[in-house]
Amino acid sequence: MNPHDKTFIDRRSLLGLGGLAAAGLVAMPAVERLRKSRSPVFVAKGQSYTGELAQTIRDGLLACDVQPNSFQGKRVLLKPNLVEPSRRIPHMTTHPAMIVAAADVFRDWGAEVSVGEAPGHVRDTEMALAESGVGEALSDGGLRFADLNYEEVGWRRNRGKYSGLKGIYLPRSVLEADVVVSMPKMKTHHWVGVTCGMKNFYGVMPGIKYGWPKNVLHHNGIPQTVADINATLPRTMTIVDGVDCMEGDGPILGSVKHMGLVVVGANLPAVDATVARIMGLDPTKIEYLRLASHHLGTIDDAYLDQRGEAWQDVRSPFHILDEAHLQKLRATPDGELVS
Amino acid sequence: MKWTDQLIDCVAAATPGGYLPAGPPATEPIAWAAVSLAAAGRPGAARRAADWLANAQQRDGAVGVTADQSTPAWPTSLSILAWLAAQQADGAHSYQDNIQRAVDWALEAKGRTAPRKPQIGHDTMLVGWSWAADTHSWLEPTAMFVKALRQAGYADHPRVREGVRLLTDRLLPSGGANYGNTMVLGQELLAHAQPTGIVLWALAGEAIEDARLPQAIDYLSNSLTAQTTTASLAYAVLGLTVQNARPAEADSWLEEAFDRQSADRPSLYKLALLAAALPSPAPTPLASASS
Repeated sequence: MNPHDKTFIDRRSLLGLGGLAAAGLVAMPAVERLRKSRSPVFVAKGQSYTGELAQTIRDGLLACDVQPNSFQGKRVLLKPNLVEPSRRIPHMTTHPAMIVAAADVFRDWGAEVSVGEAPGHVRDTEMALAESGVGEALSDGGLRFADLNYEEVGWRRNRGKYSGLKGIYLPRSVLEADVVVSMPKMKTHHWVGVTCGMKNFYGVMPGIKYGWPKNVLHHNGIPQTVADINATLPRTMTIVDGVDCMEGDGPILGSVKHMGLVVVGANLPAVDATVARIMGLDPTKIEYLRLASHHLGTIDDAYLDQRGEAWQDVRSPFHILDEAHLQKLRATPDGELVS
Repeated sequence: MKWTDQLIDCVAAATPGGYLPAGPPATEPIAWAAVSLAAAGRPGAARRAADWLANAQQRDGAVGVTADQSTPAWPTSLSILAWLAAQQADGAHSYQDNIQRAVDWALEAKGRTAPRKPQIGHDTMLVGWSWAADTHSWLEPTAMFVKALRQAGYADHPRVREGVRLLTDRLLPSGGANYGNTMVLGQELLAHAQPTGIVLWALAGEAIEDARLPQAIDYLSNSLTAQTTTASLAYAVLGLTVQNARPAEADSWLEEAFDRQSADRPSLYKLALLAAALPSPAPTPLASASS
C-alpha cells in the first residue's frame, strides 16, 4: 500500500502503540490520542442491487481517503458473508452484485482481485456458492474463488491477545493478500448484537482447523476472538451490504429489512460502530467493539468523520430478540421486540 | 468405457490428493478414496491410499487433517473405515494395528459437554466427538466415529451407544439435520442435505424408535435434485442408500455431478465421494447397513 495513505498509517500506528502500551512502554495518553484520531466512514443511501453500486463503492473509498494508485499490482481478497446460504433467505448473505461491483472498482485500480470465504456452518462450499448465487456471479465476472475452509494454512502470532489463543491459523489466500476487504451483510446477531465488518472475519478462519461451527473460537470467547482476528489480519477495509438487511433473529433466521445503504471505511471498528448506531444499538455496549476500540480504531462518534449521509439521518432501529443480553445493547429503550 | 469406470480411474489417479485441485493431500479425501477403490474392486489402489493414511498416523493413534496438520484429528474415524475397507478388499489384516490404535484414541477422545440451557434445544450433556480438541460435540464428527467404531466391532460400546443418542437428539423436529444445533433461542435451524445424509448413514442398522428419523429420510428424499451440489449429493445418496431409500434417479444425478466436476479441475475429495456413493457390488464398510 501507499505508505502515505493515512488510513493505513493510522491503523498500523494504533496497533504498534497498542502493543507498546500493553507492555507499559508508552504513556496511556499517547495511546488515547491515537485511539481517538479521526476516522472517516462513508454512508450512501437509496442504493439497490440493480443500481450503480460500483460508482457508490468507488465514491465511498475515495471519500475515506483511500488512494487508488496504491492498489496497482496488489492482491485484494474480497470476503463476503456466506455463512449458511439458502435461496429462501437471500437477506442472510452478501448480495452477488455487491461483490462484483467491489471487484470492478479494485480491478479498475489495477489490483488482482479474488473472492474468498470459509462458510462457518456448512462444509459443502459448492453448495454455499450455489445457494447464495455468488458462484454464478463470480463465474460470469471471471473472478477466482478461494475456498478458505480447505486451503493450506499458516500460523500467525495472535496480535490481539484478547483471548487465550497464542496464535491463529489463516488460509494461504489471506496470508498472501495485500488487503482483505470484509463485505458483510448488515445484520443483527442473536449472541453479540450486530454482525458487520469485524465479525464477518470469522469467515476467514479455516474450518479444517476450527470446525463447523468454528467452535474453538466460541470456546475462547466470541468478542475476544473477533478482536483477535481483526488485530492479526493483514490490512483490512470494509464495504457493507446494507441494502436488504436482516433484523430479529440474525444472523441466519431473521427477517428482511430494507435499508438501501452501502457503508464503506478502512477503520472497521469505526464502520461497525456507525452501522450499530444506524441499527439503534449502542456500540460502546457491544463487547467486541469495546475491545477493539482500545487498539484497532475509535468507535467514539465524536472522532468519526461522517462522509456521505449522516448516520442520524438514516437511523432506523432494527428489531432485536426479547433477550436480556440483547436488549441491554439498545441505544435507546424504544423499538419493537420480537421473540 | 462406462462413466463409473472413468470415475474410479480418476479417483485412483488423483490419490493421494486433497480437498482442492491444487491443495495439499488430506486425510478425509484419501480415506474416502480408499473406501471407494476397495468397493470398486481395486485392492492395489485402495492399499496405496490406506498406506498413506498409515504413514500419517501418529504415535497416539490419531490421524490429523492433512499431512502437515496433525490436529485436529477428526478424520481418524474415516481412516478406520479406510483400513477396514482395504483389508476387506485384499483379504489380509495388514492394518489391524493401525485400526486398533486409532480405535483406542477414538474411545478416549470426547467432546466437551455443557450444562443445559433453555436457549439451546439439543442435549448439551451428551458426549460425542468434536471437530477440534476440547470443544463441544457436533453431529458430523460424531456420525463418523459412530460409523467407524460400529464397523470396527464396537457397536455395543457405551461411547457408541451415547453417540447414537446424540445423533438422534440432534435431528430437527421438522425433519433433517443442521450442522448440529436444533433449536436456538426458540427457533428451529435450517436443514441441510450433507449433515442429514451423514447422520442417516451413521444411524443405519440402529433400532431407533423416533419419528424424526423417517422425517429426516423424507426431508432428504424430497430435497435432492439434479442440481444438488457434489458433496451434499454424495453424502445424501450414501445416507438414503443405507436407509433403503436410494432415489431412483441417484445414478443419473451422480453422473451429472461427475460431468460437472470433469468440466473443471476436479478434486480428489469430490471424486472420491461420488465414487463412494455408487451402487456397491458387495457390502462394504461404507454401504453396509449392519455392523
